[in-house]
Amino acid sequence: MDPNALLRREVLAGGVAAAAVPTRGVPAPAAGPLTAGAVIERMQQRIGVPWNGWGVDGFKAGAPETVVRGIGTTMMATFDALKSAARQGLNMVITHEPTYWSHPDTLTDLQHDPLYLKKLAFLRAHNMVSFHFHDNWHALKPVDGIDYGTQQLMGWTTYMHADDQRLFTLPPTTLGALAADFQQKTGARTIRVVGDPALPIRTVYESWGYCSAFPGISFLDKADVLVIGEAQDWDLIAYAQDLVALGEKKGLIVLGHVKSEQWGMRYCADWLKRFVSEVPVRFVPIIEPYWNLDHLILEIETEV
Amino acid sequence: MPQRSLAAPPARPPHDGPVTALQLADRILAEAIKDGGAMLAADRIVAGDPTTAVTGIATVAMASIDALRAAVAKRCNLIVSYDPIFWSDDDRLDHLKGNRLFAIKRDFIRAHGLVVLDLHDRWQGGIDTGMARLLGRERYRRSAGHPCYELPHTTLLALATAIRTTLDDRTLRVVGDPALLNGAADVVLCGYSHEWEAVEYAQDMIATGAKKGMLLLGEAKSVDGGIRYCATWLSTIVHEVPVEHVPALEPYWCLPWHGATGQTRERPT
Repeated sequence: MDPNALLRREVLAGGVAAAAVPTRGVPAPAAGPLTAGAVIERMQQRIGVPWNGWGVDGFKAGAPETVVRGIGTTMMATFDALKSAARQGLNMVITHEPTYWSHPDTLTDLQHDPLYLKKLAFLRAHNMVSFHFHDNWHALKPVDGIDYGTQQLMGWTTYMHADDQRLFTLPPTTLGALAADFQQKTGARTIRVVGDPALPIRTVYESWGYCSAFPGISFLDKADVLVIGEAQDWDLIAYAQDLVALGEKKGLIVLGHVKSEQWGMRYCADWLKRFVSEVPVRFVPIIEPYWNLDHLILEIETEV
Repeated sequence: MPQRSLAAPPARPPHDGPVTALQLADRILAEAIKDGGAMLAADRIVAGDPTTAVTGIATVAMASIDALRAAVAKRCNLIVSYDPIFWSDDDRLDHLKGNRLFAIKRDFIRAHGLVVLDLHDRWQGGIDTGMARLLGRERYRRSAGHPCYELPHTTLLALATAIRTTLDDRTLRVVGDPALLNGAADVVLCGYSHEWEAVEYAQDMIATGAKKGMLLLGEAKSVDGGIRYCATWLSTIVHEVPVEHVPALEPYWCLPWHGATGQTRERPT
């Protein structure tokens, strides 16, 4: 059975217009035990737009009928995230990024992959659900759920432009100071920057997560600095490098995919708590995958 | 700019005038295939006038403005570039209609009579060979044609440190235990990989106790040794003009670590 097909049938026509900060009360607990499908149904009712059933969102492990003992929201259902959720008794994992290492969670080449089989066995042994919540969380109205979470972390909610939720006017700063502010607030060790550290900054355009060259190149025109999660060195990064080489007053900050977006899944836990009261709901932070030679560390837990 | 008539009599031998970019491009692409390069390659002249008389060849990891300026300073006007010039895999121009930077770069190329040859698919093996030479590990290659090396006893940290020093790579990033010993371990070296695919696959392997590591060097530093080797190789098939390598600049800088208030799960090793 395709769990997404079930979800599509259950979607409410037109969705329910819900603000990002709704004032509705917590609904009465369900009569029976809370199932994963019921949690998703409530999410669909509150996302503020018709639920998109055609993208990557859906059940990647476990079934809608699974009884939920706790919910963990996470940036990516890495093995680390799953272990942390299992330890906390959270058997429904709502993940922004894939479980199986490709955006659509393609399984074609993984059927005999030992790591895939281990991950699946771990999920089954702990009766876990992994629900991919990417497209619809980005579609949250009025502000994209991921964007809102990172704005909150940075303290930028009042700096957002009314006509473009990715554009901010900050108190005057410099490229170096802004990068240091990101390091302090996100804890990202391997932030990389293109441009002059002394460059004065007033306006910032964001594209958290992966940013392709098109439209990324046009984003560089919109502000003094573009801040992204990651991009390919031979397209958007190369463009920024050429801009700087020509004397343009521009900067590009590359935070890392995880460190740029996971605050949106922290916000997702707060959002879920407004309408899920039967079980604990917690944000499960994941680590930055890398270290560099200035900061040696192994954060990955190696015990299963 | 073309410096000889295009209407040369067909009976005359082909090399009695200045050698053109097109002649050299044809030769380079044909010879690269003979040397084992991919047949179904999209490598081609991506900018400039193919009839230009070549004064010198510069090999570059990527035809950035910086690299083009350095080539001009070396009096080289045929640029052999591994990565694209117009910021997309296949140098698509349809997205760049009205783009100011495109116009500036195009005008720079015209003003200096440059021609840019993209040599990517045919030079994959050349990148492996050149990087192995630069890192001094050709003799550790497991078998010819495969980019797999069995190194003497080292750790992931020592390997990363040695690579940073040899390549002058300021922004190298590493996945795995710094104390990881090779022997039981496998380490993958690459330039860039998406942070939702191979990076997380490596992370998940390590999370299940597998002895693995991954080093991300950045595209420029991961290919530049192969492009330096390309200049050496080209000088064996091109004798009419000098061939030079323009070293790649790393696009980024990194911040020193000052600590964080952000949510992390730190376990010092």
